[in-house]
Amino acid sequence: MTVVMNAIGPTYRRSFWRDLFVLTGRSIKVTWRLPFAVIPNLAISLFFLLVYQGGLSGISALPAFGGAHYLNFIVPVAVVSGAVGGAGGSGQALIRDLESRYFTKLRLTPASPTAFVLAPMIAGMLQLIVQTILILVVAAAMGLSVPTGFVGLLVVVLLAAGWGLAFAGYAVAIALRSGNSQTAQAATFVFFPLLFLSDTFVPLSLIGAAWLKVAARINPTTYVFGAMREVLMYGWKSRPILEGILAIVILSAITLGWAVFTARRTLRRK
Amino acid sequence: MTTEPTSNQAIRVANLRKRYGDVEALRGIDLSVEWGELYGFLGPNGAGKSTAIQILTTLILPTEGSAQVGGADVVRHPEMVRFRIGVALQDTGVDPLLTGRELLTIQGRLFGLRKQESRNRATELLNQFNLQEAADRRVKTYSGGMRRRLDLALALVHRPSILFLDEPTTGLDPVNRIALWDLLRQVNEETGTTIFMTTQYLEEADALCQRIAIMDRGKIVAEDTPTGLKRRLQRDVIELDPEHPEEAAHIAETLRTAGFDAVADKDLIRVFSANGAHSIGGVLQHLESKSVGIAGLRVTQPSLDDVFLQLTTASVNEG
Ligand SMILES: Nc1ncnc2c1ncn2[C@@H]1O[C@H](COP(=O)(O)OP(=O)(O)O)[C@@H](O)[C@H]1O
Ligand SMILES: [Mg+2]
Repeated sequence: MTVVMNAIGPTYRRSFWRDLFVLTGRSIKVTWRLPFAVIPNLAISLFFLLVYQGGLSGISALPAFGGAHYLNFIVPVAVVSGAVGGAGGSGQALIRDLESRYFTKLRLTPASPTAFVLAPMIAGMLQLIVQTILILVVAAAMGLSVPTGFVGLLVVVLLAAGWGLAFAGYAVAIALRSGNSQTAQAATFVFFPLLFLSDTFVPLSLIGAAWLKVAARINPTTYVFGAMREVLMYGWKSRPILEGILAIVILSAITLGWAVFTARRTLRRK
Repeated sequence: MTTEPTSNQAIRVANLRKRYGDVEALRGIDLSVEWGELYGFLGPNGAGKSTAIQILTTLILPTEGSAQVGGADVVRHPEMVRFRIGVALQDTGVDPLLTGRELLTIQGRLFGLRKQESRNRATELLNQFNLQEAADRRVKTYSGGMRRRLDLALALVHRPSILFLDEPTTGLDPVNRIALWDLLRQVNEETGTTIFMTTQYLEEADALCQRIAIMDRGKIVAEDTPTGLKRRLQRDVIELDPEHPEEAAHIAETLRTAGFDAVADKDLIRVFSANGAHSIGGVLQHLESKSVGIAGLRVTQPSLDDVFLQLTTASVNEG
């Protein structure tokens, strides 16, 4: 990917990876300098963990839980809500650049445009992974014990990253389309139906309302919860895990495709 | 120092047009800028200055016409153009959460400098633009003057041979404005960098530019050296200081009724005439007959303001 462009100048080397590395480093630095864009989201995740575990842990005595602890059941909710927040951050980061017009300054460099859309997404993914690990550490301190062990926790982190990536694609596309923070903020509210119209707090079999059952079956989050819960509560049964992966792949393909399309359109000279 | 010129002219533009829906922002522009020249684009708000500079710096496409910058076509070879030019536009900004040094280093890296080279270049520019003390502070704490100096430094990281500046001093106080003029002259003289800049200020174009194009509603209405432009206005100006400055407007009015082309400009009165030496007798006679006292009198060349006003009003009348 390193091409010497003699026509341009003797020293300039076009390198996508250098551009991506430099800009990702910059995005991480900026995330670090905006702690209040990260802390509330992390706090909400931990809130799910502590409050629901405290308030609902008794119901895991019901047969629908198959003998697992409620903590193992609720951890995916904390992880997924954290992942969505972290991923939404990459859209916010792009909007900051559009609003400060640093984005235009970047467009005037010979750097790869793909790199300056991708960099905040990678930084968002890294933030999400750190956040997920933190949530798992807190859960472990609360007594989480997992039948699939360390590898199972790793799978949870990867599923969270995949889910986050799908959401990041959506957030970035909205950011590029609207270019203003209000619209993008409003758009991240799909987070609520995604997170709550699902078997968020109790297994599907315990949900009474038929409409909620239907909504949960359509909601891809349900399958991500399913995959995470499989490894956190039971073992390595492949079906729920594959369903979760499939949901992530399909959704990522759609949102990332949309992001790429929107980025191309935004960056095209008019 | 700079990249080898690959073309006889730094900038060449032919019949450039840009339409935004019904608005025709550029209505056919032709110009050329020599290597090493400091060229000014002068015009009021909405004249099309930013549109022109955005096309030349590859941010937007022209509707019609062609432009070569540093020998490369802005439509077909935008990457080549980007490498050769440095840009500080009204429409660009910086991330306020980064420090001046960080921004310069990132810019250097994106233009292909190695890590250490990029750091050294940042330090060099921070010194040159007197930003050493603020170097490691976030840009959001910078004053307006510091922001503009940083913008200029960012544009120069990769030692471009052509520099584009869109209203570089708009909004600056006089002290900072003059300091920036000195920096621009220094860049132009020491490195031979060609500078294409826009401005709304006549005095700025007059003080800095070797050649000026006057823009009015999407067209260049005149292009010449500052002296040439002044000479074009084939008129003298008689400046009168009234004994009682508050009467200036009234006196100008009296002169106009007597058939003189007179205007009050603050405390003084300016009378335009094809030949100042001939008309001066008539003017004084008239004022004496009205018993108006005059404290001072000069016959001068027109200022760029006069040229500008004449040219832009002329094109209003044309259509
Ligand atoms: N993106 C745009 N869409 C529509 N009209 C525009 C756009 N940009 C500029 N214009 C119009 O084009 C004209 C020239 O604008 P501009 O180039 O910004 O002038 P200047 O920089 O000299 O003030 C103005 O009438 C302005 O309203
Ligand atoms: Mg402008």
